[in-house]
Amino acid sequence: MYAVLRFIMDAGFDWLAEQDPQALILAGSALAAGIAMLARIGTGIGHGYTAGKAAESTGTNPKMVRQSTFIMLLGQAITETSGIFSLVVALIFLYANPLVGLPEAGLVVVASTLGAGIAMIAGFGPGVGQGYAAGKALEAISHRPSLQPPVVRTMLLGQAISQTTGIYALVIALILLYANPLLY
Amino acid sequence: MNGIDITDMAIRNYITIDGQPIITNTVVTTWAIMAILVAFSIFVVRGLKAVPGALQLIVELILEGVHWLGDSTMGRDKRYFAPYMLALALYLALANLTGLVAVRQPTADLNTTFALSLMTFFMVQFFGFKAKKFGYVKGFFQPLPFLFPLNLISELAQPISLSFRLFGNMLGSVVIMLMIYMFLPMLFPLVGHLYFDVFAGLIQTFIFVMLTMTYITLAME
Repeated sequence: MYAVLRFIMDAGFDWLAEQDPQALILAGSALAAGIAMLARIGTGIGHGYTAGKAAESTGTNPKMVRQSTFIMLLGQAITETSGIFSLVVALIFLYANPLVGLPEAGLVVVASTLGAGIAMIAGFGPGVGQGYAAGKALEAISHRPSLQPPVVRTMLLGQAISQTTGIYALVIALILLYANPLLY
Repeated sequence: MNGIDITDMAIRNYITIDGQPIITNTVVTTWAIMAILVAFSIFVVRGLKAVPGALQLIVELILEGVHWLGDSTMGRDKRYFAPYMLALALYLALANLTGLVAVRQPTADLNTTFALSLMTFFMVQFFGFKAKKFGYVKGFFQPLPFLFPLNLISELAQPISLSFRLFGNMLGSVVIMLMIYMFLPMLFPLVGHLYFDVFAGLIQTFIFVMLTMTYITLAME
């Protein structure tokens, strides 16, 4: 078993070692930019859920069309935050990757780049969660239209807290890119 | 790499001592905002009348908005926080909107946002201890004593998430607006500014102030 693993590892790193380190870093940036955008899946689900709930709340309470649309757009805009974080990190990879051209180029740099991209997948969770919160807020105001201000305030507060996970992902990605402790 | 210069995204240093940035463009912008706010306050207070004019009416509306928010979040007995919250809100709103005049937002600098969130953090600790004395310290050992490390970590994570929430959003505004100006310099920046500077900036101002209020209230209750 160990021999098999060892063989795979050897075979895996052999061709990697033959590549130019700088080319590897560029390849890592490209992959990481793509991986970072995976977080948009969550944002998409959240948007969809919010839109569905907006439709439902309009059906429940047709007088609330304007408010429903407003809260739907507000909630979706907040849900968008994790997607924007991913977009920012992907854009940094593509146009201003600080790791490209490091003198001590090597596997650590490639892994750091990939790791920063993978970290941003965490944006999936906040996207879904914030969309769910916005949907539930829409449901609540369709039943109790007079409570709109406190409901919207609670929604914004809860969404800001559920954003925290995505923010930690952003912190790790930025540390890997700009203040990497693993590089000597 | 075609076109985009990384220095466009970086913070500019005007004065450095031993390689450490002392005065950056974000600090200078902060001074400008402080000067504007102080001058505006003096100007408004000088002209206060019993029957308000247009300007005084707007200022009173803003004040009443902060009072309403504070009353419904913190309770009426904690109105003595309102001056701090209003100052914080005005500073953050102006700082987030400076992206409109092609200045790097002070809030897109981690030093600014982390300083603000540290102020919130120390306020939370101070007023929590003041309100509940040793009951506040005991709260760290609830519900079970061995959960103390977890409670401590979650308390220390508060200023980090608070500062990076604002910083991340404003950095996003800087990076994405740079891209829009590079690739779609006509008409599109208008939409970008509207969303990333005006909307996201004002929402993040609201969220920062609301979270500060909520954290302080939670510590005091």
